Amino acid sequence: MRKWFARLAALGVALLIAGQGTTALAQDPAAGKKVLRVGATQAMDSMNPFLAVRLVSTSIHRMMYGFLTVPDSKTLQPSPDLAESWTTSEDGLTWTFKIRQAKWSDGQPVTAEDAAWTFNKIMTDEAAKTANGPAVENFESVTANGQELTIKLKAPQASMLENPIPIMPKHAWESVTDIANYDAEKYPTPSSGPFIAIEHKKDQYVKLQANPNYWRGKPKLDELQVIFYANPQAAIAGLKTGEIDLIGRLNPPEYEAILNDPNITAWNTQGRRSVYLQINHGATTSDDKPVGDGHPALKDVKVRQALHYAIDKQKLVDDVQNGLARPADGSIVPPMYKDFFWEATGDTKVGYDPAKANQILDDAGYKKGPDGIRTMPDGDRKLEFRFSIHTDTPIEDKLAEYLTGFFKEIGITLTTKKLDSSKFTEETGVSGLFDIAISGWSVNPDPEEVLATHLCSRRPSPTGEGGGTESFFCDETFEELYQEQLKELDRPKRADIIKQMQERLYTQAPVIAIYYTKDLEAYRKDRLVSITPIPETDGILYGGSGYWPWFTADVKPTGTAAGAASAEGGSNTGLIAGVVGAVVVVGAGAFFLTRRRKSTADERE
Amino acid sequence: MTAPLDALEPAAQAAGSAEEPQARRGTLRYALSKAAGALFSIAMVIVGTFFLFRLLPGDPVRNLAQGRNMTPAQLDLERHRLGLDKPLIDQFFDFVGDTLRLDLGTSYEYKRPVLDLIGERLGPTLLLAGTGLVIAVSLGLWQGTHAGWRHGSRFDRFSTGASLVLWSVPTFWLGLLLMMVLGVGIGPIPGLFPFRGIESIDAPDGFAYVLDVASHMVLPTLTLVAVVYAQYLLVMRSSLLEEVSQDYVTVARAKGLRDDDVRKRHAVPNALLPTVTLVFMRIGFVVGGAVTVETIFTWPGLGQLFYEAVSVPDFTLMQGTFLLITVAVIVMNTLADVVYHMIDPRVRSA
Repeated sequence: MRKWFARLAALGVALLIAGQGTTALAQDPAAGKKVLRVGATQAMDSMNPFLAVRLVSTSIHRMMYGFLTVPDSKTLQPSPDLAESWTTSEDGLTWTFKIRQAKWSDGQPVTAEDAAWTFNKIMTDEAAKTANGPAVENFESVTANGQELTIKLKAPQASMLENPIPIMPKHAWESVTDIANYDAEKYPTPSSGPFIAIEHKKDQYVKLQANPNYWRGKPKLDELQVIFYANPQAAIAGLKTGEIDLIGRLNPPEYEAILNDPNITAWNTQGRRSVYLQINHGATTSDDKPVGDGHPALKDVKVRQALHYAIDKQKLVDDVQNGLARPADGSIVPPMYKDFFWEATGDTKVGYDPAKANQILDDAGYKKGPDGIRTMPDGDRKLEFRFSIHTDTPIEDKLAEYLTGFFKEIGITLTTKKLDSSKFTEETGVSGLFDIAISGWSVNPDPEEVLATHLCSRRPSPTGEGGGTESFFCDETFEELYQEQLKELDRPKRADIIKQMQERLYTQAPVIAIYYTKDLEAYRKDRLVSITPIPETDGILYGGSGYWPWFTADVKPTGTAAGAASAEGGSNTGLIAGVVGAVVVVGAGAFFLTRRRKSTADERE
Repeated sequence: MTAPLDALEPAAQAAGSAEEPQARRGTLRYALSKAAGALFSIAMVIVGTFFLFRLLPGDPVRNLAQGRNMTPAQLDLERHRLGLDKPLIDQFFDFVGDTLRLDLGTSYEYKRPVLDLIGERLGPTLLLAGTGLVIAVSLGLWQGTHAGWRHGSRFDRFSTGASLVLWSVPTFWLGLLLMMVLGVGIGPIPGLFPFRGIESIDAPDGFAYVLDVASHMVLPTLTLVAVVYAQYLLVMRSSLLEEVSQDYVTVARAKGLRDDDVRKRHAVPNALLPTVTLVFMRIGFVVGGAVTVETIFTWPGLGQLFYEAVSVPDFTLMQGTFLLITVAVIVMNTLADVVYHMIDPRVRSA
């Protein structure tokens, strides 16, 4: 038993010394370098851009690889990246891009051949389609001639310039035969973006180094590290201890946890997410057969509109989102995208007006029963709806509480149904087993993708396979407008059509937008010198579209001001560790001593 | 002091030694029958695993495509690529065949062989959960022994109470609390230990690296030990309590043996039996890691991998990890049976 204790004490001391040793050692290698450490609550799924689908992976690939075009840092409109300029044929089917004279980080020139190889690889290799297959679906052929890239399309496509595919270096990748099983863990990576990946420890971190050959010039940072945390609380703790310098994608409670920290700047700007209610207005499969068990009353657009009038969006923002959102007077495109954002005005606008909601329902024949609950005009069924939300999301619980209150005012009962996320996706996107459900979408600079989630073709197949619908919507007007915007190459005209589509969604109400959440982030003000969001005014840092914040960011070199402070923290840590260690040693010594006395006493007896 | 005691033991065993060869044959037969039972269980698990996970709601292809623009035709293509468009029974036979060839397939989400993914995570999990188990067992048995021996003493009341309180505390809560107090620091107390991952970003080499990993292990191990050691303590305490009143203990005392020796050489070996079963069963679960602790401290282990797999649902990855975990538990249970048979003569004669 004594040995036992000695071992335990030794282990304790060793661990304490270890804690001391690492704080001292960790300071050294980075001294004098400008290193920005970004926290992420998701680990990379793959370093291979043909396969990676997780958000964190595509974000990191955006730092590493160039694209044909990227959103402009001010307007978010497509602007030159590796493509310097471009022209379109009369019929909109042939696009010619002039590729910039630039170099890969390994010194090889960037040519149109690289781009052509990348697109052709995805068009011809099934495995390479995994990440971005849909983006080349409409490509007829892609050819290269020196610095000139020609893409022929099958049909006109206005969103052509928003192509999400990173251009890969042909010279480094053409020898890869089996894309499906290639993990691309070869460092340093030949890159054309501002950063080069130099190390990836799975589920731990990715280290990137400034690319000296980057065509815009070398970034101010020497090194960029993306560090993974398995849960947001740990990431917040990491920011507080200075293990990381910046973290994005915070929820209101996490954001509030860092609000009063003197070393941390809280970042609260407009976001790219819209939150909406999805209403089962008569779900059907792609062959127009009804599916699911939605309440019949919701098929009536008047009922849906009445629900819309009954919702006090400002109150939801204040109480559910703690003020960290903007009430939605539009549809699924958030106001951040000024060009495409549509907002209801005048008579179209549905404001909070329970009296009007009651009036609409009364007029439509949904009479209130003696218990105050309305019934169908034929008196058959009460207006009792289910509200499907996710388990373990306190914000959705609170939202449900408020909506239940709002709908009670107009004689409608709402009961909450909590589902885990797989089952939720199944019931609200495939089997149609819901009345009203919570939903939301983080919208890209081009809203085509989110608009497409309301097309007839996205409804589930008759055999029950999901097609990605967000509403089971199938509306002739909406379909026509969608086709029209695809062909409209004039940006303002196309924006008009996209606004009409949003108006259609607003008035038909298969979805009701409730608010646009804010972009909540935080960074260490003792470390970061400057950083530019995208868009530059009121924009996003992490999770924005592109590498702009990382290219512009500047931090204090490690070893100066803040670095010294943390080093001091380190020695402080060492001191305390030493004291604790000494106490353990003395305690253990005393223990042994008394034991020895006792045992010798025993033996004497 | 120990010599006379040792001299006693052979005499005590003498009676048993005559039956030795026969007993050994019996043990072998017993072990073989247990092994056969275990193989049958594993076969059932392979079958069960496949169908159980197919019952989970959710379409993996749809979930993997979440947030990306994919037409229904492209989704179908993806289903075809993953073999999800085949009839279930064909998928099942493919799965069984591959599993028997030790090919666990390719993960839907990571696009890499499941066996590789498991291989990468196994080390960290064994390190963390193994260390946790060793410490929890040692601590639990030590405290349990002393609490049981001095039943009703202040030490007994304190250690039993403390362990039960920790046992009832939610792991997640305790982990976060330790992270805040010992990781971030409170007030003038700075953070003492790292709370993310298995090593520092700029991890040093050599012995310093060992220390670095050790310091990263402190908080997760502490959490892991704190919430589980009570079970060893309680089992040890109660089985020791049973032994304390036995005649042989009284005899040992009557011989004038020191109290410590009565405990160590007579009571504890007999009281250890139920604990052996418990420990072996827990060794099986070590492979499964500790999902919660791994998630709090970003420990790159199997528990976290399994959790991620369930949320997709990534069928191949789930099958692979689940199979590994269940096989480990079955093997360890079988071993526990056999070991128990060997160390406890009463089981043998029964």
